[in-house]
Amino acid sequence: MSLYNNDIHLGSSLSTVEILTTIVLKFKRDGSSEDKDWLILSKGHAAPALYAVLAEKNLIPTNELWKIQDINSILQGHPEIFIPGVDMSTGSLGQGLSFGVGVAEGLKMSRRNGRVYVIMGDGEQDEGQVWEAATHAASMKLNNLISIVDANGYQLDDATEEIKPKHYLPEVWRAIGWNVVHCDGHDIISISYALENGINSRKPTVIFAKTIRGKGLPLIENSKKQKVNNGDAEE
Amino acid sequence: MREAFGRIISELGDEHKDLMVLTADVGNSTKAVYFREKFPNRYFNVGISEQHLIDFAAGLAATGKLPVVAGFAMFLMRAWEQIRNTVCRMNLNVKIVATHSGYSDYNDGSSHQSLEDIALMRVLPRMKVVVPADSWEVRRSLPVILREPGPIYYRIGRDYSPPITESFKYDFKIGEATVLKDGSDLVIIGAGVVLWDAIKVAEKLEQMNISTAVIDMTTIKPIDEKVIETYARKTGRIVTIEEHNVIGGLGSAVSEVVVKKYPVPIRMVGASDFGRSARSQRELLDYYKINDKSLMNASLELLRLKS
Repeated sequence: MSLYNNDIHLGSSLSTVEILTTIVLKFKRDGSSEDKDWLILSKGHAAPALYAVLAEKNLIPTNELWKIQDINSILQGHPEIFIPGVDMSTGSLGQGLSFGVGVAEGLKMSRRNGRVYVIMGDGEQDEGQVWEAATHAASMKLNNLISIVDANGYQLDDATEEIKPKHYLPEVWRAIGWNVVHCDGHDIISISYALENGINSRKPTVIFAKTIRGKGLPLIENSKKQKVNNGDAEE
Repeated sequence: MREAFGRIISELGDEHKDLMVLTADVGNSTKAVYFREKFPNRYFNVGISEQHLIDFAAGLAATGKLPVVAGFAMFLMRAWEQIRNTVCRMNLNVKIVATHSGYSDYNDGSSHQSLEDIALMRVLPRMKVVVPADSWEVRRSLPVILREPGPIYYRIGRDYSPPITESFKYDFKIGEATVLKDGSDLVIIGAGVVLWDAIKVAEKLEQMNISTAVIDMTTIKPIDEKVIETYARKTGRIVTIEEHNVIGGLGSAVSEVVVKKYPVPIRMVGASDFGRSARSQRELLDYYKINDKSLMNASLELLRLKS
Protein backbone atom coordinates (compact mmCIF):
# COMPACT_ATOMS: atom_id res chain seq x y z
CA MET A 1 0.00 0.00 0.00
CA SER A 2 2.83 2.34 0.81
CA LEU A 3 4.07 1.90 -2.76
CA TYR A 4 0.89 3.58 -3.92
CA ASN A 5 0.56 6.00 -1.05
CA ASN A 6 3.50 7.24 0.93
CA ASP A 7 1.30 8.99 3.49
CA ILE A 8 0.31 5.98 5.56
CA HIS A 9 1.70 5.17 9.02
CA LEU A 10 3.75 2.29 7.72
CA GLY A 11 5.96 1.60 10.73
CA SER A 12 3.13 1.44 13.26
CA SER A 13 0.98 -0.57 10.86
CA LEU A 14 3.67 -3.20 10.42
CA SER A 15 4.12 -3.63 14.18
CA THR A 16 0.49 -4.63 14.58
CA VAL A 17 -0.08 -6.94 11.58
CA GLU A 18 0.28 -10.25 13.43
CA ILE A 19 -1.88 -9.06 16.33
CA LEU A 20 -4.67 -8.08 13.93
CA THR A 21 -4.23 -11.25 11.87
CA THR A 22 -4.54 -13.47 14.94
CA ILE A 23 -7.60 -11.70 16.30
CA VAL A 24 -9.48 -11.22 13.03
CA LEU A 25 -8.72 -14.54 11.35
CA LYS A 26 -8.50 -16.84 14.38
CA PHE A 27 -10.42 -15.44 17.37
CA LYS A 28 -13.07 -12.96 16.33
CA ARG A 29 -16.53 -14.49 16.00
CA ASP A 30 -18.77 -12.79 13.48
CA GLY A 31 -21.80 -15.01 13.82
CA SER A 32 -25.17 -14.03 15.16
CA SER A 33 -25.55 -10.98 17.34
CA GLU A 34 -25.62 -13.34 20.34
CA ASP A 35 -21.91 -14.08 20.22
CA LYS A 36 -20.52 -11.44 17.88
CA ASP A 37 -17.12 -10.20 19.02
CA TRP A 38 -15.99 -6.59 18.63
CA LEU A 39 -12.62 -5.33 17.43
CA ILE A 40 -11.65 -1.76 18.19
CA LEU A 41 -8.47 -0.42 16.65
CA SER A 42 -7.91 2.40 19.10
CA LYS A 43 -4.56 3.13 17.49
CA GLY A 44 -6.46 4.02 14.35
CA HIS A 45 -3.35 5.08 12.47
CA ALA A 46 -2.63 1.35 11.92
CA ALA A 47 -5.68 1.30 9.63
CA PRO A 48 -3.66 0.01 6.61
CA ALA A 49 -2.83 -3.17 8.56
CA LEU A 50 -6.48 -3.59 9.54
CA TYR A 51 -7.66 -3.11 5.95
CA ALA A 52 -5.13 -5.66 4.68
CA VAL A 53 -6.38 -8.23 7.20
CA LEU A 54 -10.03 -7.43 6.41
CA ALA A 55 -9.18 -8.01 2.74
CA GLU A 56 -7.82 -11.44 3.67
CA LYS A 57 -11.22 -12.11 5.17
CA ASN A 58 -12.89 -10.91 1.95
CA LEU A 59 -14.64 -8.07 3.73
CA ILE A 60 -12.79 -5.52 1.57
CA PRO A 61 -11.86 -6.16 -2.09
CA THR A 62 -8.09 -6.53 -2.43
CA ASN A 63 -7.92 -4.04 -5.28
CA GLU A 64 -9.46 -1.43 -2.98
CA LEU A 65 -6.34 -1.58 -0.77
CA TRP A 66 -4.23 0.27 -3.32
CA LYS A 67 -6.72 3.13 -3.27
CA ILE A 68 -6.31 3.85 0.45
CA GLN A 69 -6.88 7.55 1.22
CA ASP A 70 -8.00 8.19 -2.35
CA ILE A 71 -10.91 10.62 -2.52
CA ASN A 72 -13.02 7.96 -4.23
CA SER A 73 -12.05 5.10 -1.93
CA ILE A 74 -14.00 3.86 1.10
CA LEU A 75 -10.66 3.31 2.85
CA GLN A 76 -10.05 6.36 5.01
CA GLY A 77 -6.76 7.29 6.66
CA HIS A 78 -8.29 6.12 9.94
CA PRO A 79 -11.05 3.51 10.44
CA GLU A 80 -14.68 4.54 9.91
CA ILE A 81 -17.68 2.34 10.64
CA PHE A 82 -18.90 2.60 7.05
CA ILE A 83 -15.96 0.37 6.10
CA PRO A 84 -17.00 -3.32 6.26
CA GLY A 85 -15.51 -5.07 9.29
CA VAL A 86 -14.85 -1.86 11.26
CA ASP A 87 -16.64 -1.75 14.63
CA MET A 88 -15.61 1.73 15.78
CA SER A 89 -14.56 4.92 14.03
CA THR A 90 -11.24 5.83 15.57
CA GLY A 91 -8.27 8.07 14.89
CA SER A 92 -8.22 10.15 18.04
CA LEU A 93 -6.08 8.31 20.58
CA GLY A 94 -7.34 7.29 24.01
CA GLN A 95 -10.99 6.74 23.12
CA GLY A 96 -11.09 3.09 22.08
CA LEU A 97 -10.86 1.61 25.55
CA SER A 98 -13.69 3.75 26.94
CA PHE A 99 -15.89 2.74 24.01
CA GLY A 100 -14.83 -0.88 24.53
CA VAL A 101 -15.84 -0.68 28.19
CA GLY A 102 -19.27 0.57 27.10
CA VAL A 103 -19.66 -2.21 24.53
CA ALA A 104 -18.48 -4.88 27.00
CA GLU A 105 -20.95 -3.69 29.64
CA GLY A 106 -23.73 -3.38 27.06
CA LEU A 107 -23.14 -6.98 25.93
CA LYS A 108 -23.20 -8.23 29.52
CA MET A 109 -26.42 -6.40 30.28
CA SER A 110 -28.02 -7.94 27.19
CA ARG A 111 -26.70 -11.37 28.27
CA ARG A 112 -24.73 -11.72 25.08
CA ASN A 113 -21.48 -13.67 24.93
CA GLY A 114 -19.48 -11.34 22.73
CA ARG A 115 -15.95 -10.36 23.62
CA VAL A 116 -14.36 -6.98 23.03
CA TYR A 117 -10.80 -6.62 21.73
CA VAL A 118 -9.21 -3.17 21.96
CA ILE A 119 -5.82 -2.56 20.35
CA MET A 120 -3.91 0.43 21.67
CA GLY A 121 -0.44 1.79 21.10
CA ASP A 122 2.21 2.14 23.80
CA GLY A 123 2.45 5.88 23.05
CA GLU A 124 -1.33 6.02 23.45
CA GLN A 125 -0.87 5.16 27.11
CA ASP A 126 0.06 8.83 27.59
CA GLU A 127 -3.63 9.72 27.17
CA GLY A 128 -5.33 10.33 30.51
CA GLN A 129 -8.59 8.86 29.24
CA VAL A 130 -6.98 5.41 29.00
CA TRP A 131 -6.72 5.49 32.80
CA GLU A 132 -10.27 6.74 33.27
CA ALA A 133 -11.38 3.71 31.28
CA ALA A 134 -8.96 1.17 32.77
CA THR A 135 -10.00 1.94 36.33
CA HIS A 136 -13.69 1.77 35.43
CA ALA A 137 -13.33 -1.55 33.59
CA ALA A 138 -11.54 -3.08 36.58
CA SER A 139 -14.20 -1.86 39.00
CA MET A 140 -16.88 -3.53 36.86
CA LYS A 141 -14.81 -6.74 36.46
CA LEU A 142 -15.38 -6.85 32.71
CA ASN A 143 -13.90 -10.26 31.89
CA ASN A 144 -15.21 -10.01 28.32
CA LEU A 145 -12.77 -7.18 27.62
CA ILE A 146 -9.27 -7.83 26.30
CA SER A 147 -6.99 -4.96 25.45
CA ILE A 148 -3.73 -5.35 23.61
CA VAL A 149 -0.92 -2.81 23.86
CA ASP A 150 1.20 -2.86 20.72
CA ALA A 151 4.49 -2.09 22.46
CA ASN A 152 6.64 -1.09 19.50
CA GLY A 153 8.67 1.31 21.59
CA TYR A 154 8.04 4.42 19.51
CA GLN A 155 5.61 7.28 19.38
CA LEU A 156 5.43 10.08 16.82
CA ASP A 157 8.35 12.21 17.91
CA ASP A 158 10.74 9.67 19.36
CA ALA A 159 11.26 6.42 21.28
CA THR A 160 8.59 6.07 23.99
CA GLU A 161 11.21 5.91 26.76
CA GLU A 162 12.61 9.24 25.54
CA ILE A 163 9.22 10.95 25.57
CA LYS A 164 7.86 9.53 28.79
CA PRO A 165 8.94 6.20 30.34
CA LYS A 166 6.52 3.32 29.84
CA HIS A 167 8.43 0.37 31.35
CA TYR A 168 6.37 0.49 34.55
CA LEU A 169 2.99 0.34 32.82
CA PRO A 170 2.35 -3.42 33.30
CA GLU A 171 2.70 -2.90 37.06
CA VAL A 172 0.21 -0.05 36.95
CA TRP A 173 -2.37 -2.10 35.04
CA ARG A 174 -1.88 -4.98 37.51
CA ALA A 175 -2.30 -2.65 40.49
CA ILE A 176 -5.56 -1.32 39.04
CA GLY A 177 -6.94 -4.85 38.91
CA TRP A 178 -6.28 -6.13 35.40
CA ASN A 179 -4.96 -9.54 34.40
CA VAL A 180 -1.63 -8.62 32.78
CA VAL A 181 -0.11 -10.90 30.13
CA HIS A 182 2.97 -10.53 27.94
CA CYS A 183 3.61 -11.95 24.50
CA ASP A 184 5.74 -11.68 21.39
CA GLY A 185 3.59 -9.52 19.14
CA HIS A 186 5.02 -10.99 15.95
CA ASP A 187 4.54 -14.65 16.92
CA ILE A 188 1.03 -15.87 16.22
CA ILE A 189 1.35 -18.78 18.66
CA SER A 190 2.53 -16.45 21.43
CA ILE A 191 -0.31 -13.99 20.68
CA SER A 192 -2.82 -16.86 20.66
CA TYR A 193 -1.69 -18.11 24.08
CA ALA A 194 -2.02 -14.60 25.48
CA LEU A 195 -5.53 -14.20 24.02
CA GLU A 196 -6.58 -17.62 25.40
CA ASN A 197 -5.32 -16.52 28.78
CA GLY A 198 -7.44 -13.37 28.49
CA ILE A 199 -10.53 -15.28 27.41
CA ASN A 200 -10.27 -17.53 30.48
CA SER A 201 -9.56 -14.71 32.91
CA ARG A 202 -12.11 -13.57 35.46
CA LYS A 203 -10.73 -10.03 35.24
CA PRO A 204 -10.30 -7.73 32.24
CA THR A 205 -7.04 -8.60 30.50
CA VAL A 206 -4.32 -6.41 29.05
CA ILE A 207 -1.74 -8.02 26.80
CA PHE A 208 1.59 -6.27 26.39
CA ALA A 209 2.69 -7.40 22.94
CA LYS A 210 6.36 -6.69 22.34
CA THR A 211 6.70 -5.63 18.75
CA ILE A 212 9.11 -3.97 16.36
CA ARG A 213 8.01 -0.86 14.59
CA GLY A 214 8.39 -1.23 10.82
CA LYS A 215 8.77 -5.02 11.18
CA GLY A 216 9.85 -6.59 7.88
CA LEU A 217 11.26 -3.44 6.29
CA PRO A 218 14.89 -3.09 7.41
CA LEU A 219 15.06 0.51 6.21
CA ILE A 220 12.56 1.64 8.83
CA GLU A 221 12.64 -1.27 11.27
CA ASN A 222 12.87 -0.33 14.95
CA SER A 223 12.97 3.39 14.24
CA LYS A 224 10.57 6.27 14.33
CA LYS A 225 10.59 6.37 10.52
CA GLN A 226 7.12 5.90 9.04
CA LYS A 227 8.01 6.05 5.38
CA VAL A 228 10.35 4.55 2.88
CA ASN A 229 10.86 6.65 -0.21
CA ASN A 230 9.51 5.19 -3.43
CA GLY A 231 12.84 3.71 -4.49
CA ASP A 232 13.44 2.07 -1.13
CA ALA A 233 9.95 0.67 -1.02
CA GLU A 234 11.01 -1.98 -3.50
CA GLU A 235 12.48 -3.73 -0.42
CA MET B 1 -35.24 22.22 36.20
CA ARG B 2 -32.84 19.52 37.33
CA GLU B 3 -35.55 18.38 39.72
CA ALA B 4 -37.94 17.94 36.78
CA PHE B 5 -35.29 16.05 34.84
CA GLY B 6 -34.58 13.64 37.72
CA ARG B 7 -38.26 12.90 38.31
CA ILE B 8 -39.25 12.55 34.65
CA ILE B 9 -36.31 10.41 33.59
CA SER B 10 -37.18 8.03 36.44
CA GLU B 11 -40.76 7.80 35.17
CA LEU B 12 -39.51 7.04 31.65
CA GLY B 13 -37.43 4.08 32.82
CA ASP B 14 -40.45 1.77 32.77
CA GLU B 15 -41.33 2.52 29.17
CA HIS B 16 -37.73 2.36 27.88
CA LYS B 17 -36.19 -0.92 29.03
CA ASP B 18 -32.86 -0.01 27.42
CA LEU B 19 -32.66 3.40 29.08
CA MET B 20 -29.47 3.81 31.17
CA VAL B 21 -28.56 6.88 33.17
CA LEU B 22 -24.87 7.68 33.40
CA THR B 23 -23.05 10.33 35.36
CA ALA B 24 -19.55 11.37 36.40
CA ASP B 25 -19.98 11.77 40.15
CA VAL B 26 -22.69 14.41 39.90
CA GLY B 27 -25.67 12.11 40.36
CA ASN B 28 -26.95 14.12 43.31
CA SER B 29 -26.30 17.52 41.75
CA THR B 30 -27.99 16.61 38.45
CA LYS B 31 -30.77 14.61 40.21
CA ALA B 32 -29.88 11.67 37.97
CA VAL B 33 -29.72 9.77 41.24
CA TYR B 34 -33.53 9.57 41.33
CA PHE B 35 -33.23 7.08 38.50
CA ARG B 36 -30.95 4.89 40.62
CA GLU B 37 -33.61 4.57 43.29
CA LYS B 38 -35.92 2.86 40.79
CA PHE B 39 -33.42 1.21 38.45
CA PRO B 40 -30.16 0.57 40.32
CA ASN B 41 -28.90 -1.83 37.63
CA ARG B 42 -29.30 0.73 34.88
CA TYR B 43 -27.49 3.56 36.64
CA PHE B 44 -23.73 4.13 36.35
CA ASN B 45 -21.47 6.56 38.15
CA VAL B 46 -18.16 6.28 36.30
CA GLY B 47 -16.27 8.56 38.69
CA ILE B 48 -14.97 12.02 37.91
CA SER B 49 -14.08 11.30 34.29
CA GLU B 50 -16.20 13.09 31.72
CA GLN B 51 -14.24 12.01 28.66
CA HIS B 52 -14.62 8.37 29.58
CA LEU B 53 -18.27 9.02 30.45
CA ILE B 54 -19.06 10.07 26.88
CA ASP B 55 -17.23 7.21 25.16
CA PHE B 56 -18.62 4.69 27.67
CA ALA B 57 -22.08 5.94 26.71
CA ALA B 58 -21.12 5.64 23.04
CA GLY B 59 -20.14 2.00 23.55
CA LEU B 60 -23.42 1.24 25.31
CA ALA B 61 -25.33 2.93 22.49
CA ALA B 62 -23.45 0.85 19.91
CA THR B 63 -24.89 -2.30 21.52
CA GLY B 64 -28.42 -0.92 21.28
CA LYS B 65 -28.81 0.68 24.70
CA LEU B 66 -30.26 4.15 25.23
CA PRO B 67 -27.72 6.00 27.39
CA VAL B 68 -28.64 9.34 28.95
CA VAL B 69 -25.57 11.14 30.20
CA ALA B 70 -26.12 13.64 33.00
CA GLY B 71 -23.46 16.16 33.93
CA PHE B 72 -22.69 19.83 34.42
CA ALA B 73 -22.81 21.57 31.02
CA MET B 74 -19.40 23.12 31.62
CA PHE B 75 -17.60 19.88 32.44
CA LEU B 76 -19.21 17.89 29.66
CA MET B 77 -17.49 20.37 27.36
CA ARG B 78 -14.14 18.84 28.27
CA ALA B 79 -15.43 15.81 26.37
CA TRP B 80 -16.22 17.90 23.29
CA GLU B 81 -13.71 15.94 21.26
CA GLN B 82 -15.18 12.62 22.39
CA ILE B 83 -18.64 13.89 21.48
CA ARG B 84 -17.36 14.93 18.07
CA ASN B 85 -15.08 12.06 17.16
CA THR B 86 -17.01 9.15 18.59
CA VAL B 87 -20.66 10.05 19.28
CA CYS B 88 -21.31 12.28 16.27
CA ARG B 89 -19.01 10.62 13.75
CA MET B 90 -20.75 7.32 14.45
CA ASN B 91 -24.15 9.02 14.81
CA LEU B 92 -24.81 7.17 18.07
CA ASN B 93 -27.95 7.34 20.11
CA VAL B 94 -26.47 9.20 23.08
CA LYS B 95 -28.56 11.79 24.90
CA ILE B 96 -26.50 14.39 26.74
CA VAL B 97 -28.39 16.15 29.52
CA ALA B 98 -26.34 19.17 30.52
CA THR B 99 -27.48 20.69 33.79
CA HIS B 100 -26.16 23.84 35.53
CA SER B 101 -26.00 25.65 32.18
CA GLY B 102 -25.75 29.41 31.79
CA TYR B 103 -25.43 31.22 35.11
CA SER B 104 -27.56 28.66 36.96
CA ASP B 105 -24.57 27.56 39.04
CA TYR B 106 -24.54 31.10 40.39
CA ASN B 107 -22.55 30.56 43.57
CA ASP B 108 -19.70 28.48 42.09
CA GLY B 109 -18.64 31.25 39.74
CA SER B 110 -17.17 31.36 36.26
CA SER B 111 -15.42 27.96 36.32
CA HIS B 112 -18.79 26.22 36.61
CA GLN B 113 -20.90 28.46 34.40
CA SER B 114 -21.42 27.41 30.82
CA LEU B 115 -21.92 30.22 28.33
CA GLU B 116 -20.28 28.62 25.29
CA ASP B 117 -21.84 25.16 25.10
CA ILE B 118 -24.59 25.91 22.56
CA ALA B 119 -21.95 27.16 20.11
CA LEU B 120 -19.76 24.12 20.71
CA MET B 121 -22.59 21.64 20.27
CA ARG B 122 -24.39 23.41 17.45
CA VAL B 123 -21.38 23.22 15.17
CA LEU B 124 -21.20 19.42 15.34
CA PRO B 125 -22.64 17.52 12.37
CA ARG B 126 -25.57 15.24 13.35
CA MET B 127 -25.93 16.81 16.80
CA LYS B 128 -29.32 18.28 17.73
CA VAL B 129 -29.54 20.99 20.39
CA VAL B 130 -32.59 21.44 22.61
CA VAL B 131 -33.02 24.11 25.29
CA PRO B 132 -36.25 23.82 27.32
CA ALA B 133 -37.63 27.06 28.73
CA ASP B 134 -38.78 25.71 32.08
CA SER B 135 -39.69 22.61 34.08
CA TRP B 136 -42.98 22.29 32.21
CA GLU B 137 -41.16 22.17 28.92
CA VAL B 138 -38.82 19.54 30.34
CA ARG B 139 -41.90 17.42 30.97
CA ARG B 140 -43.16 17.96 27.42
CA SER B 141 -39.84 17.45 25.66
CA LEU B 142 -37.86 14.79 27.53
CA PRO B 143 -40.06 11.87 26.40
CA VAL B 144 -39.77 13.13 22.80
CA ILE B 145 -35.99 13.42 23.08
CA LEU B 146 -35.72 9.78 24.13
CA ARG B 147 -37.72 8.64 21.11
CA GLU B 148 -35.68 10.72 18.64
CA PRO B 149 -32.72 8.72 17.25
CA GLY B 150 -29.18 10.11 17.20
CA PRO B 151 -27.15 12.42 19.43
CA ILE B 152 -28.96 15.22 21.25
CA TYR B 153 -27.61 17.93 23.54
CA TYR B 154 -30.31 18.81 26.07
CA ARG B 155 -29.46 21.97 27.99
CA ILE B 156 -31.13 22.72 31.31
CA GLY B 157 -30.40 24.85 34.34
CA ARG B 158 -30.39 24.14 38.03
CA ASP B 159 -33.31 25.39 40.13
CA TYR B 160 -34.43 28.78 38.78
CA SER B 161 -37.41 28.08 36.55
CA PRO B 162 -40.05 30.83 36.30
CA PRO B 163 -43.37 29.54 34.85
CA ILE B 164 -42.95 30.45 31.18
CA THR B 165 -44.86 27.68 29.44
CA GLU B 166 -46.96 26.39 32.35
CA SER B 167 -50.28 27.73 31.04
CA PHE B 168 -49.63 26.71 27.43
CA LYS B 169 -51.00 23.62 25.74
CA TYR B 170 -48.86 22.24 22.91
CA ASP B 171 -46.96 19.14 21.97
CA PHE B 172 -43.23 19.50 21.76
CA LYS B 173 -41.76 18.53 18.39
CA ILE B 174 -38.07 18.62 17.54
CA GLY B 175 -37.36 21.50 15.20
CA GLU B 176 -40.65 23.27 15.88
CA ALA B 177 -40.67 26.54 17.79
CA THR B 178 -43.60 27.62 19.96
CA VAL B 179 -45.19 31.02 19.47
CA LEU B 180 -45.86 32.11 23.04
CA LYS B 181 -47.38 35.39 21.92
CA ASP B 182 -48.30 36.69 18.49
CA GLY B 183 -47.44 40.20 17.29
CA SER B 184 -46.75 42.20 14.15
CA ASP B 185 -44.32 45.07 14.96
CA LEU B 186 -41.47 43.16 16.55
CA VAL B 187 -40.51 39.60 17.44
CA ILE B 188 -38.44 38.47 20.42
CA ILE B 189 -36.90 35.05 19.97
CA GLY B 190 -35.45 33.36 23.02
CA ALA B 191 -34.50 30.03 24.54
CA GLY B 192 -34.39 28.98 28.16
CA VAL B 193 -35.36 30.81 31.35
CA VAL B 194 -34.68 34.23 29.82
CA LEU B 195 -38.00 33.94 27.96
CA TRP B 196 -39.55 35.07 31.25
CA ASP B 197 -38.05 38.50 30.60
CA ALA B 198 -39.17 38.37 26.97
CA ILE B 199 -42.80 37.89 27.97
CA LYS B 200 -42.60 40.72 30.50
CA VAL B 201 -41.19 43.10 27.89
CA ALA B 202 -43.72 42.07 25.27
CA GLU B 203 -46.53 42.97 27.68
CA LYS B 204 -44.96 46.36 28.36
CA LEU B 205 -44.49 47.04 24.65
CA GLU B 206 -48.09 46.04 24.07
CA GLN B 207 -49.15 48.79 26.51
CA MET B 208 -47.14 51.18 24.33
CA ASN B 209 -49.17 49.96 21.30
CA ILE B 210 -46.26 47.97 19.90
CA SER B 211 -47.49 44.57 18.87
CA THR B 212 -44.77 42.16 20.00
CA ALA B 213 -44.45 38.45 19.29
CA VAL B 214 -42.49 36.08 21.54
CA ILE B 215 -41.09 32.82 20.21
CA ASP B 216 -39.75 29.97 22.32
CA MET B 217 -36.99 28.47 20.18
CA THR B 218 -36.67 25.25 22.16
CA THR B 219 -34.82 23.47 19.38
CA ILE B 220 -31.78 25.50 18.42
CA LYS B 221 -30.70 22.83 15.96
CA PRO B 222 -32.34 21.95 13.64
CA ILE B 223 -33.79 25.45 13.95
CA ASP B 224 -37.34 26.31 12.88
CA GLU B 225 -36.50 28.25 9.71
CA LYS B 226 -40.15 28.58 8.78
CA VAL B 227 -41.21 30.42 11.92
CA ILE B 228 -38.17 32.71 11.71
CA GLU B 229 -38.89 33.62 8.10
CA THR B 230 -42.60 34.11 8.80
CA TYR B 231 -41.92 36.53 11.65
CA ALA B 232 -39.07 38.29 9.85
CA ARG B 233 -41.52 39.09 7.06
CA LYS B 234 -44.37 39.93 9.40
CA THR B 235 -42.52 42.19 11.88
CA GLY B 236 -39.35 43.28 10.09
CA ARG B 237 -37.38 43.37 13.38
CA ILE B 238 -35.93 40.66 15.56
CA VAL B 239 -34.47 40.73 19.05
CA THR B 240 -32.92 37.56 20.44
CA ILE B 241 -32.17 36.72 24.05
CA GLU B 242 -30.10 33.88 25.44
CA GLU B 243 -28.26 32.87 28.58
CA HIS B 244 -25.15 32.19 26.51
CA ASN B 245 -22.46 34.09 24.69
CA VAL B 246 -23.89 36.00 21.73
CA ILE B 247 -21.17 34.50 19.56
CA GLY B 248 -22.34 31.18 18.17
CA GLY B 249 -25.50 30.90 20.23
CA LEU B 250 -29.20 31.39 19.53
CA GLY B 251 -28.76 34.90 18.13
CA SER B 252 -26.19 33.63 15.66
CA ALA B 253 -28.40 30.69 14.70
CA VAL B 254 -31.36 32.99 14.04
CA SER B 255 -29.16 35.40 12.05
CA GLU B 256 -27.92 32.58 9.84
CA VAL B 257 -31.50 31.91 8.81
CA VAL B 258 -32.52 35.55 8.47
CA VAL B 259 -29.66 36.54 6.14
CA LYS B 260 -30.60 33.64 3.90
CA LYS B 261 -34.40 33.89 3.94
CA TYR B 262 -35.40 37.50 4.54
CA PRO B 263 -32.80 39.98 5.87
CA VAL B 264 -34.08 42.30 8.61
CA PRO B 265 -32.25 44.12 11.44
CA ILE B 266 -31.47 41.97 14.49
CA ARG B 267 -30.28 42.83 17.99
CA MET B 268 -28.85 40.16 20.27
CA VAL B 269 -29.06 40.14 24.04
CA GLY B 270 -26.70 37.70 25.71
CA ALA B 271 -23.34 37.26 27.40
CA SER B 272 -20.00 38.47 26.15
CA ASP B 273 -17.65 37.48 28.96
CA PHE B 274 -17.18 34.90 31.72
CA GLY B 275 -19.54 35.06 34.68
CA ARG B 276 -18.84 35.42 38.40
CA SER B 277 -20.26 34.34 41.74
CA ALA B 278 -23.49 35.78 43.10
CA ARG B 279 -26.36 34.95 45.42
CA SER B 280 -28.77 33.92 42.68
CA GLN B 281 -29.09 33.25 38.96
CA ARG B 282 -31.52 36.14 38.70
CA GLU B 283 -28.95 38.49 40.19
CA LEU B 284 -26.41 37.43 37.55
CA LEU B 285 -28.84 37.83 34.66
CA ASP B 286 -29.47 41.39 35.79
CA TYR B 287 -25.79 42.05 36.50
CA TYR B 288 -24.83 41.00 32.97
CA LYS B 289 -27.84 42.82 31.49
CA ILE B 290 -29.50 39.75 30.05
CA ASN B 291 -32.92 40.93 31.15
CA ASP B 292 -36.09 42.84 30.41
CA LYS B 293 -34.33 46.22 30.48
CA SER B 294 -31.85 45.24 27.76
CA LEU B 295 -34.64 43.72 25.72
CA MET B 296 -36.63 46.93 25.99
CA ASN B 297 -33.65 49.05 24.91
CA ALA B 298 -32.86 46.76 21.98
CA SER B 299 -36.52 46.73 20.92
CA LEU B 300 -36.87 50.52 21.02
CA GLU B 301 -33.62 50.91 19.12
CA LEU B 302 -34.93 48.67 16.34
CA LEU B 303 -38.27 50.45 16.25
CA ARG B 304 -36.50 53.79 15.86
CA LEU B 305 -34.40 52.37 12.99
CA LYS B 306 -37.36 51.62 10.82
CA SER B 307 -39.77 54.42 11.67
